[in-house]
Amino acid sequence: MTTIDDTAFAAPPARSRPNWASGTNLILMAIGAVLIVFCIVPFGLVIAISFGQKIEGAAWEWAFTFENYQRFFVGAEWPDTVTFLYLQRLGYALWYAVIASVLAVATALPFTYLMTRLSRAAQARWLVFLLASLSLSEVFIVMGWDILLSNRSGLPALFKATGLTDWLKDVGWFDVLREWGLANPRNVKFKPSQFATILTMSYLVWPYAVILLYPALSRLDTSLIEAARTMGARPFTVARTVILPSVRLPVIGSTFLLFVFLLGTYVAITVFANPAQHTTAVSIYESVRGASLNAPFGATQAVILLITAAVFLGLGQALNRASGGAR
Amino acid sequence: MAGLHLEAISKTFGTQTAVERMDLSFGDGELTALLGPSGCGKTTLLRMIAGLETPSTGRIMLGDTDVTAQPAHKRKFGMVFQNFALFPHLNVRENVGYALTIAGVSKSEAGTRADRLLDLVQLTGFADRRIGQLSGGQRQRVAIARALAQEPDIFLLDEPMSALDAKLREEMQVELRLLQQRLGITTIVVTHDQREAMTMADQIVVMSKGRLEQVAPPDQIYNAPANSFVAEFIGKANFLRGTVRDAGVVIGDSYLPISPPPRFINGSPVQVVCRPEQITLTDAGPLMGEVVFVRDLGASREIHLTTPIGTLVAELAATMAPTTLKKGDRVGVHLPVAALHLFPDGAAPDQTAMAAE
Repeated sequence: MTTIDDTAFAAPPARSRPNWASGTNLILMAIGAVLIVFCIVPFGLVIAISFGQKIEGAAWEWAFTFENYQRFFVGAEWPDTVTFLYLQRLGYALWYAVIASVLAVATALPFTYLMTRLSRAAQARWLVFLLASLSLSEVFIVMGWDILLSNRSGLPALFKATGLTDWLKDVGWFDVLREWGLANPRNVKFKPSQFATILTMSYLVWPYAVILLYPALSRLDTSLIEAARTMGARPFTVARTVILPSVRLPVIGSTFLLFVFLLGTYVAITVFANPAQHTTAVSIYESVRGASLNAPFGATQAVILLITAAVFLGLGQALNRASGGAR
Repeated sequence: MAGLHLEAISKTFGTQTAVERMDLSFGDGELTALLGPSGCGKTTLLRMIAGLETPSTGRIMLGDTDVTAQPAHKRKFGMVFQNFALFPHLNVRENVGYALTIAGVSKSEAGTRADRLLDLVQLTGFADRRIGQLSGGQRQRVAIARALAQEPDIFLLDEPMSALDAKLREEMQVELRLLQQRLGITTIVVTHDQREAMTMADQIVVMSKGRLEQVAPPDQIYNAPANSFVAEFIGKANFLRGTVRDAGVVIGDSYLPISPPPRFINGSPVQVVCRPEQITLTDAGPLMGEVVFVRDLGASREIHLTTPIGTLVAELAATMAPTTLKKGDRVGVHLPVAALHLFPDGAAPDQTAMAAE
């Protein structure tokens, strides 16, 4: 029989906290304070202002009214009359953002895949080029596309000069373009149109799409592709059954990220979209800075836009989890 | 099917030659091992056969059909990859049935055939598992079943055992060989493990630096190596440097008679190679050695000796080796004439070694 000394079970002496731990805490607290002052407070203010009240002919005052939210969903004159103007604008914001983000990811995916098959040096050159294009501001890009698509000096003029317009008329496609609102009786026209709006928005986020997809595609195990080929899969079958399922999560994630990013597009919409098809972002600016100077209503629209983005991100997360659970 | 034949096949990447021009035949229903150290070109050769690399020169003939220009997906060659390359988004049954599904076979039929293949590789009941839920050995079996699903003309395996632990590897080598014999499918296995090649192969192709060193059955590769590279790469060997004189070799101050007489002109620098297990120890003899180290390996004992002709290692079966043998003992060393192999000594300063024929 062995007697075990009680001291053997005694708790080890408490270790003194090193000095650097308290230093780290201080830094974390400082960062936390900065976040609170510059992120949480302005955000809280926007939410608070969204319940404020506009004073006719003057600014606004603090209040707690749901009038702004009512105006957004059913119009200011409700219940006498109902208008869905702002819901419609939210609808356009969602429509443009969905199509443009899907278009950007759908076109960036094959490009990025082919890029990852290039030599390291060639990949680096492409990435530098794409990163450089990110430095262009939205205003600059829209200006470029504005010129490219303008009726007098852009593609329509080129169509006319090269005889492409006449050819389109001869083969009958011109009428189709007119039906789609992409031509007037004389020539093709791209402004204003949903086509130009979505194309420009898609171009705006295209480099982001490539950069978001690049890590997943460059890590893609080439032996999976080769294994599929040795089992009789043609290139398209390989893409459908191996590559796409392997990068499904990054593709869904990138699309949602770009979608949320595009919900707030402003310049491209004001330049390319028909005023009747403007979005919530434009409407917010008009309320806050435009003729109406109605900050509370602008704040309401901003909050709703934010909630919409959050809802869609949540849906994306749920979608990922649902399909991830099946793995 | 009349086997696979490579005619004047070679592969270069830029200025680098991965596989030098070679002719090779793989007999119908035989298992051939491509054996060699890393970077010897064996995987490149296998990938050319699979259609994953295009040969720089030469033709690949499947029987009488030239398949050189056929893309991988048209060749019907099943391949098991080094990392198994199982699709993580599919379960075991879907992985095995992949080749059938994409070929248009109905899902239920593909499932039934996949289940049959899983029975064949002893994975009954694993069909609904995810790939992440399988062990290394199970993954390998799935990869084998998947490659066999399309009933391939040729079965290719690229270092299929390298991801397995030593014990499992040995078991799988025997299992794979039995499966291959049962199916009678022409099989090519790439390996750098000589033991694996010796266990499984009907024919071993030894390669180094993109060249063929020897193509022969395992016993011939071991007992009659074609050159010093094969002798050194396959199994253990004692290497002695000497010079040819008349019907023997002079090593240091000793003269070693060789029978039949060496086919080298007198004065040629040569390497004399002898397998450790072919050396016998006696109480006394013309060649005496001093024991410097004894290594007990359980089934055998390794005796390291210094002799007038150089350092030698003898391997004796545990039942044959005197247990009293210890460091410092002097013993007679007998090198059986039939067990000695002579090769030109490429590293010797005098490069006059040449075959007399």
